[in-house]
Amino acid sequence: MARRGTASAAAVLAGSLLLASCGGSDGGGTSDAKTLRLWHYEAPNSAMGVAWTAAIKEFEAQHPGVKVEFEEKSFDQIQKTAPMVLNSSDAPDLMEYNKGNATAGLLSKQGLLTDLSAEVTKRGWDKLLSPGVRTTSRYDANGVMGSGKWYGVPNYAEYTMVYFNKELFAKYRLAEPKTFDDLVAAMDTFAENKITPLANSGAEYLAQQYVYQLALSRADRSWVDSYELYKGKTDFHDAAWTYAADTFADWVKKGYIGKSSTSAKAEDAGVSFLQGKAPILFSGSWWYGRFQDEATFDWGTTLWPGSNLTPGSGGNLWVVPKSAHNKELAYDFIDITMSKKIQNLLGNKGGVPVAADTAAITDPKSKELIANFNTLSGRDGLAFYPDWPVPGFYDVLVSETQKLITGSEKPDDYLDALREAYDKGVPKT
Amino acid sequence: MTVTVERGGRVTGKQDGAVHPRRARDSYALFLLPGAVAFLAVVIVPFLMNTGVSLTDWQGVGSPEWSGLANYRELLDDAEFWESFRHSLFMVVAMAALPTAVGLVLAAALFDYVGKHFGSRTAAVLRACFYLPQVLPIAVAGIVWSWILAPDDGSLNELLQAVGLGSWRQDWLGDPDLALWSVMGVMVWVQLGFPLVVFMAGLERVDPQLYEAAELDGAGWWRRFRHITVPQIRPEIYVVLTWCTIAALKVFGAVYVLTKGGPGGATNVPSYFSFTTFFEKTQVGYGAAISTVLTVIILALSVIGLRLQTRAEDAEEGARA
Repeated sequence: MARRGTASAAAVLAGSLLLASCGGSDGGGTSDAKTLRLWHYEAPNSAMGVAWTAAIKEFEAQHPGVKVEFEEKSFDQIQKTAPMVLNSSDAPDLMEYNKGNATAGLLSKQGLLTDLSAEVTKRGWDKLLSPGVRTTSRYDANGVMGSGKWYGVPNYAEYTMVYFNKELFAKYRLAEPKTFDDLVAAMDTFAENKITPLANSGAEYLAQQYVYQLALSRADRSWVDSYELYKGKTDFHDAAWTYAADTFADWVKKGYIGKSSTSAKAEDAGVSFLQGKAPILFSGSWWYGRFQDEATFDWGTTLWPGSNLTPGSGGNLWVVPKSAHNKELAYDFIDITMSKKIQNLLGNKGGVPVAADTAAITDPKSKELIANFNTLSGRDGLAFYPDWPVPGFYDVLVSETQKLITGSEKPDDYLDALREAYDKGVPKT
Repeated sequence: MTVTVERGGRVTGKQDGAVHPRRARDSYALFLLPGAVAFLAVVIVPFLMNTGVSLTDWQGVGSPEWSGLANYRELLDDAEFWESFRHSLFMVVAMAALPTAVGLVLAAALFDYVGKHFGSRTAAVLRACFYLPQVLPIAVAGIVWSWILAPDDGSLNELLQAVGLGSWRQDWLGDPDLALWSVMGVMVWVQLGFPLVVFMAGLERVDPQLYEAAELDGAGWWRRFRHITVPQIRPEIYVVLTWCTIAALKVFGAVYVLTKGGPGGATNVPSYFSFTTFFEKTQVGYGAAISTVLTVIILALSVIGLRLQTRAEDAEEGARA
């Protein structure tokens, strides 16, 4: 009898184990109308992190009895698990997500995101966003950005710029880089003085953005539209790409870019600028607040000289999962992040707001950041990022650009490799 | 009744009429049931699901489209996969062959020399030191090694500079000709403690009289090592080799933290390749095919390893009988 009991217990235990492993989990998330489940991945001390924290407080004040259940995620965590999470009942009500064809576009195509078009018009968000910023919010039926329905709303913008160490420029009696020739002359002088002028990271995005920026300096809007929006044929051996690959390889030879930067991460590049080792860093506005906080020397910024276009776009998107339980609350939260109060806060903390009151931005550095963005935005200069066109292109760009730095691949072969990966991933329709 | 459990789990019974061997087997089977169900749930079912996914063209969401063996055909022609697999063979050297060989010599030295001349406590402390990397999470070890091997101000390059060998400074993880060797070096360091501890435990069961007799006969350390240590702990050697080879074939964490498969794919391995195909390229079907092939290869090698081990043990027992 006892043995039979043991057998039954074992069978029950085994059965439950099997069921537990096969069944869905509820994830512990709440779904009552008194809770807004929110995920984002901004660092608490970044401009966006500070602004979103203030927005949560504002939201709770405006919605008595409603609690914001915030879960801090990492960018990588959301990037790699979003399709699976959004396909389950564990999806939050509102989530920050990366923009572009390979990310938000892919999810919208799969029907995992809510169409926000009606809400965008009703609440007037479309009027607050400039055309360049708006591009990454809309996706067509194939998940290609730029047209179609609204699947996300960005509350800030981002763009790349040349950060330079004013003290090192002064030490070597160099003019601040207003023209491309100024930039090259400065790099020559630094290289002659055994200083590697450009901070770079071959293992992460910086290297590929140098190449892309060089290509953009010989490109126009239709070139970008072909590459990013498939509105034409992209030729990886055209004048712009050839110039970019040749020049980048040449800059490595001339010592403008360190060969030892092959395995460096973006953080290493940022730190080398902050430590005064690299006098120039070309990267995004996401570094701005940190440099404001941590740099112990005088520094300045300028848009890449001699180019109308530069990598940049609307910031990450607020998306509302299709399976969200409290969509109205999610829309209310987005609305608060678009309010002047939150936008001004974001602007004063080193972010690039999309709907701030210019007069309310008092910090001089922040004013400079926003002024540069307005210049760029005014000339329709946001050219997105090189890894956006096809899923997995980021890794291809990292891997191939590393070969360009080490000299193990010639520029021509480099462009062939990019073409092959691009053609393989680009939508056939 | 006397029940005897033979090696290999076979149960025999001298029947005295009170208990039937069939019922004895049943009772053991009952104890195995939860484990078997758990194995089914967390290994077999996901493996079959993964195999099913590998026969589709799926992006991870939406409906998968049946593509038959297309992913496997593509895999056959995928130079990147075979290159990653070639790197795996290097990792087998770094994580199985070298640690086993070096671990064997070190274990014998600690047991037979250090233990005798400096005391067992000293041997135990040294053993713990060698085992320490096994305790560290690979992410932590990887980050620390990436600092040590950093090109500009890494400790290794600084050390070389300090001792007058500045010309030997290298970009250890960034040079495509060196990166794989550097990762291999780190993995030897990580892996060494495991065989060492297993071999030292194995040596505990060796009859000390064998060593004493050999010493009286004038056998030096190397002869004792060859003729007593190695043959006596052969079962442990097989286990360690099999275990470490499997670990080497599925190595992921170290590559992820140290190089992310770079520079230019120079340190890519199948598990990392599968990971990027799954999550970066969202080619879930193709990523599943890579995982399936990798699993089959690991299973085949495990079976071969276990067969060889059993055969060698049987031969040894036969020779003794």
